Amino acid sequence: MAKRRRRHRGELTWTENLVFLAPLLFFLILLYGTLLWTIYVSFTDWSTMAPNYQLAGLKWYRFLVQQPKFKVDIINNLKWLILGVFPTVTVAIFLAYFLELTPFPKVEAYIRTLILYPVAMSFIVTGTIWSWMYEPSRGVINTLLRLVGIDANLPFTTDPDTATYWLILIFIWQYLGFSVIIVQSSFRTTELQELVEAAIVDGASRLRILFAIILPNIRGGLLILVSLLLISTLKVFDIVFIVTYGGPGIATDVLALNMWITTFQQHLVSAGAGLGVIIFISSFILVIPYTIYAFRKWFE
Amino acid sequence: MKTKSRTAKILIGLVLVVLSFAYLLPIYVMVITALKSTQEVSQGQYLLPTGQPQWSNFAEVLFGSQRFRSEMATRLGNSIIISFSVTALCAFFGGLSGYYLSRIRTRFSTVLFILVGIALYLPYQVVIIPLSILMAKTGLGQSHAGLIFSYLILNMPLASVLLGTFFLAIPRELEEAAEVDGASRIQIFFQVVMPISLPAYASVAIIIFTQVWNEFFLALSLASRKTQTVQVVMAEAKGTTLVLYNLQMAAALIAVSIPLLFFLFLGRYFIRGILAGALKG
Repeated sequence: MAKRRRRHRGELTWTENLVFLAPLLFFLILLYGTLLWTIYVSFTDWSTMAPNYQLAGLKWYRFLVQQPKFKVDIINNLKWLILGVFPTVTVAIFLAYFLELTPFPKVEAYIRTLILYPVAMSFIVTGTIWSWMYEPSRGVINTLLRLVGIDANLPFTTDPDTATYWLILIFIWQYLGFSVIIVQSSFRTTELQELVEAAIVDGASRLRILFAIILPNIRGGLLILVSLLLISTLKVFDIVFIVTYGGPGIATDVLALNMWITTFQQHLVSAGAGLGVIIFISSFILVIPYTIYAFRKWFE
Repeated sequence: MKTKSRTAKILIGLVLVVLSFAYLLPIYVMVITALKSTQEVSQGQYLLPTGQPQWSNFAEVLFGSQRFRSEMATRLGNSIIISFSVTALCAFFGGLSGYYLSRIRTRFSTVLFILVGIALYLPYQVVIIPLSILMAKTGLGQSHAGLIFSYLILNMPLASVLLGTFFLAIPRELEEAAEVDGASRIQIFFQVVMPISLPAYASVAIIIFTQVWNEFFLALSLASRKTQTVQVVMAEAKGTTLVLYNLQMAAALIAVSIPLLFFLFLGRYFIRGILAGALKG
């Protein structure tokens, strides 16, 4: 015992390694193993139910890029990235600031719970509910509009030109509460509170305080929020699957849905793996700034 | 930062009305529609609550019927088995890994941490093909073990980082005192670190549970008929019973009930878990 007590920090005995390190190593090897396996499959010639590991170079990547669906996917995924993230973050900033300013604690508690409950729900449930809200002839929103005398008959997700925007709106609805609590908690550092108090004494307006003092000081929190939302919109699958299944036609198709259909419906496994790799590389690039920031914090 | 002027009050009222409408309407619609008869959902009467609540809708959804074949009772069982098992295993192994990552500072552990950090955001699309091959080859896909195992490896990075972050905040003196008393690291972990981290474990468990319960892509791709989860069967019901919105809403209510109960009664841990996952990870 005495010997063990004096051992160098960071050194583990054989049993300790087995307990603390072995599970981690096991899961990491499996995860990275499957990742490499997928990358390898994307360069093979596997296009039926039966596995075929013969290398085919970039054949299936070329195939993917030539499909009209691919261009639609890229445009739609870009729409998701931009419209799913920036409106959400902007509204979340104002709403979080608003909640901080509210003189009624009960109002704050109520709104927080109200907008946060969708976090507990799946996109499948949310999508089912919103399909009914969006239903063109009998749905909730058009019925409500008719009640107040507007016979707009909005087509929602049945119109190929605007369907993706209505899907993105569901995403914003679901993620607003999540975004607000992240922004709110990054407001609540003592340094920032002191800066704000000082600015109030100086007679700065509330909007000026938000833009000149608060926003520059919560860059870390915003970076995290933006990165998380970017990743979620890049991988978006459930909402599209349940509400439109990529339709009308291929108007709302996205990379993740294309990947699933290509792999599991058409059994073009190498092409599906290629799409998986494309999604992985994009998400990897998107989170680089965040990852660097998180590593710095961890090793502080 | 507090304000009480008249315009402020009007603004508060406005925000309250808009948000209440946007966030209560979908829930309201889900609940009232779930209790309607099929006749009511197909002709008029979309927004008012029904006079005769059809409680039998829930029985029909749970146990299936001629027109609603996607009975949910067994799927509910599947989701419960899978989500609880993954949560327990993930918390246990995640705790061990998190302890390793937070206490050992060598070059090797740094490399491991970076690998874990990258794996945090691994899209499921890039692991699904090998996983489905493994499931088919090993026969695991036919039982719950297949999905449990897949979710376990995919959620391990998150559980490790979350718990590791919590462990970093524990004062080191506690462990040093136990070390002076001659306790081994394993004893220290199980007798000192774990007991005082129970709130952390609760937060992580709720986050993992909700994530697995609500997950769709993996469940859709890997589950066999016998292991289908609630989310998959809901998607199936929506595809095959397009007009039966009342039954779909009843199914949706059943599917959200468990995570929503967690959210309502354990909201504190829920929020702490979200914040830890987002801000420190």
